[in-house]
Amino acid sequence: MTDRGRRALIWAWTLAVLVFLYLPALCILLASLTASRYFLFPIQKWGFDWWRKTFESLEIRQLFANSITIAFCVMVIAVVIAFFGALAFARYNWKGRTVFQKIVLLPIFFPQSVLGLALLLWFNAVGIQTSWMTAIFAHLVWIIPVVTLVISIQVYSFDPALEEAAFDLGASRWQVFREVTLPVLLPGIVSGAFFAFLLSWGNFPLSLFTTGADATIPKYLYAKMVAGYTPGVPVLGTVSTFGAALLLLGGYWLVTLRRRAQS
Amino acid sequence: MSKRPPILQLKSLTKSFGTFNAVDGIDLDIAEGEFFTIVGPSGSGKTTLIRMLAGMEQASSGDIILSGTRINDLPANKRPTCMVFQSLALFPHRTVGENIEFPLKIKGVDPAQRKARALALLDQLRLPQNYYGKSVLRCSGGERQRVALARALAFDPKILFFDEPLSAIDYKLRKTLERELKDIHRETGKTFVYITHSLEEAMVMSDRIGVMCAGNLVQVGTPNEIYSAPKDKFVSEFMGDVNVIPVSMNGSRTITADTFDKTFTVAAIPEAFSKGHLVIRPEFVRFVTEAKEAENVLEGKLYNEYALGSRIQYQVRVGENVFIVEKLRQHSSTLRRDQTVLIGWDAKDSILVTG
Repeated sequence: MTDRGRRALIWAWTLAVLVFLYLPALCILLASLTASRYFLFPIQKWGFDWWRKTFESLEIRQLFANSITIAFCVMVIAVVIAFFGALAFARYNWKGRTVFQKIVLLPIFFPQSVLGLALLLWFNAVGIQTSWMTAIFAHLVWIIPVVTLVISIQVYSFDPALEEAAFDLGASRWQVFREVTLPVLLPGIVSGAFFAFLLSWGNFPLSLFTTGADATIPKYLYAKMVAGYTPGVPVLGTVSTFGAALLLLGGYWLVTLRRRAQS
Repeated sequence: MSKRPPILQLKSLTKSFGTFNAVDGIDLDIAEGEFFTIVGPSGSGKTTLIRMLAGMEQASSGDIILSGTRINDLPANKRPTCMVFQSLALFPHRTVGENIEFPLKIKGVDPAQRKARALALLDQLRLPQNYYGKSVLRCSGGERQRVALARALAFDPKILFFDEPLSAIDYKLRKTLERELKDIHRETGKTFVYITHSLEEAMVMSDRIGVMCAGNLVQVGTPNEIYSAPKDKFVSEFMGDVNVIPVSMNGSRTITADTFDKTFTVAAIPEAFSKGHLVIRPEFVRFVTEAKEAENVLEGKLYNEYALGSRIQYQVRVGENVFIVEKLRQHSSTLRRDQTVLIGWDAKDSILVTG
């Protein structure tokens, strides 16, 4: 094959992968831009009507409030617990560490619907009313292991001599933590926070079982698809997807800015 | 050197891991202002020793006495000593200036004074003033070395410990930094305790050297004492290429080789000597044309020659035994491989060791 032919093939393949990855998000956007009540393709009449209607709905506002509250609480709790978990995972040598490393990661691979169902059964058995608060707990069961892993990656590249050096230069344990450990591990903590927020934001199976009468955006989307589709569903889907993407890009931008300011 | 009062005294200092003694009852006095180097192969316990001295490792038994006070139970952050780490441990999220100022910030020195001290240290360590705001990640190996030393000096420690900080640096730069470090030792007048696996490095810098093996100090002395009077086979071989012949003393007080038939003339026989090694440095072995030209002469075959910069090294095989001969390049001999040669040395240039 000629050099040119090979390059063309690589480009074509790359393009195919990109289309495959991003076409669904694009389709959701297209489906939301119709003026009619039902989804017909090609779109007969374009319009922003359903966007207006969606944003005016008090129900939808409540959904956003629920999803953001849950994701925010999950983020804060998960990052704190996972940070110390990651130190135990990657920084310190202790008896039982290898067992801990395996056990803590296992929940990532549990089927989430089974995990949700199990939690629901337990909440009922113990007599806890399910709501957005029980959903936070359910999300944490799955998200803390993920965030532990994300932060551990940063901890692995952390030179333990940094802490020793700070300690040796007269710093107290707390000063070592505040001046060295925390700032050096900050990039890992920030990525962990993004993971926690976005995984909770998009989670469906755990929320389905554990939110009770409260609803989150993914749970609402599902309910509406089963019964009562309107183009308001793709509007919400688009906002949810692009909101997550914007958050990620914003975080990336902040990190780049900070890095540039340093050098 | 050792006439001055000791700043640091170790008394049967031991560190055990289970039944294994990594440091096995070390006694040592280090004088104030001294540049003392502990040298030993990896696994000899030197890192464990210096970590105990700096307070990063708890001693199992024995005493560490600093200026007359036992400091065994003092944690590292309460000891008036400071260590330069092998990895240097510069804070990657801080600038050069912030790294140097770190110990001052911890002590609560005000920012203006901190900066003035950091700039003075940059100057002392031969780093440009505009490095103050530079990220440590953008510094070269040699510069990082200087920043680490500046940070340690900012702490103003009574003793500075060094844990092989030059081991990851290429040869040429290492030679420069060794000299700089010795100059800085002179300029600051502080006590330096340095560990390395390179005796060559120890020789260049130190006032005294302690050779460590299997948790023990085998020999302590000035570089010259270690070089010219190694205590045993381990120390003499640790010095680099050297000729070592296993020998025994027979009834008539003559020294004979264990593995081949030869009697040697030696300058002195240590008391109670029966078995040991005869050590001859390669620069004291020379090619001779007749047996009477040297007090000890062996016949062998030239196997190979190696160029070592200013010197040339020859490998001569005497039966099963390998001997090395070194000559300055300008005095090099024109010899063919497999040529039969006579090598010889005088009694005063050989050392008889017990171990």
